[in-house]
Amino acid sequence: MADIPDRIVLRRHRDLEGRGWQIWLRRGLFALLPVLAILGLLNVFGQRPESTTKSVDAASLKLYAPSRVRSGVLYQARFHIAAHQDLRQATLVLDPGWLESMTLNTIEPAPVGEASDNGRLSLDLGHIPAGGSYLLFLEFQTNPTNLGHRSADVSLKDGNRMLLQINRTITIFP
Amino acid sequence: MDIVLRAIVLYVFVIFIMRVIGRRELSSMTPFDLVLLIILGDAIQQGLTQDDYSVTGAILAIGTIATLQVLTSYLSFRFPPLRRVLEGEPIVLVDHGKFVHRNLRRDRMTEDDIAEEARQQQIASLDKVQWAILEANGSISFIKSE
Repeated sequence: MADIPDRIVLRRHRDLEGRGWQIWLRRGLFALLPVLAILGLLNVFGQRPESTTKSVDAASLKLYAPSRVRSGVLYQARFHIAAHQDLRQATLVLDPGWLESMTLNTIEPAPVGEASDNGRLSLDLGHIPAGGSYLLFLEFQTNPTNLGHRSADVSLKDGNRMLLQINRTITIFP
Repeated sequence: MDIVLRAIVLYVFVIFIMRVIGRRELSSMTPFDLVLLIILGDAIQQGLTQDDYSVTGAILAIGTIATLQVLTSYLSFRFPPLRRVLEGEPIVLVDHGKFVHRNLRRDRMTEDDIAEEARQQQIASLDKVQWAILEANGSISFIKSE
């Protein structure tokens, strides 16, 4: 009959004395994995788009874009402007956070003009008649090295006249 | 720089996963386990190098992981309590021919699993087995009755 194998201590390796807590630690740590998956389903790590709408007498702006993304992912931001009054020179002004370490793949339709508005990206969309609407698509890819939490406010102007502003942030997970 | 950080984070996470999933899943090779390993490898690779196709990036990633592997190995060697944490300890599954069911349950193993493993080691009957021990590396050692 084989004796107890060398280095095997029955109290520890068979009866698991002093090791009872280990399995509960392992189960507890394992529970973190489905928690991560559930948080992912709940959009904690992005990149499900969310709608934010702001309206004033002259116009309303609906922004449909994710506020949480991960490095490397492609995503879209959709800006829907509904003009309640005639907008002679509708202009969207985006915070630098929209473009910081982001690749802007395309803007459709192309704006009439682009400029810097005190460090923010200003997109001149041209004339939108009263009752008309304008849909602007921006397609992004988050750069793989991008990471952090940035302001991504959007303002709608008519010329130099501020109409409304949507305050938001964008969070980039590694 | 970030590729090194990603390598460190993923290495620690893989160690964590290996310890939490259980040693059997990562040492055995049932079709399900093989699929698991392939998916793990693919997901890790994408998170590690992302869009970096450069040789420099690959060298950095491999170098970081190799360094961490040696470091982990050294720390395990130097500090035995850490070895238990990182690698685990043996567990007796069969004692004098009798199954230790509590220990089987602990690692989600059945008597059939033990019998299968025994057959792979040319042991036809578990009656001939004195000890079966689940080793820290996930393999099962059988010691026959003399």
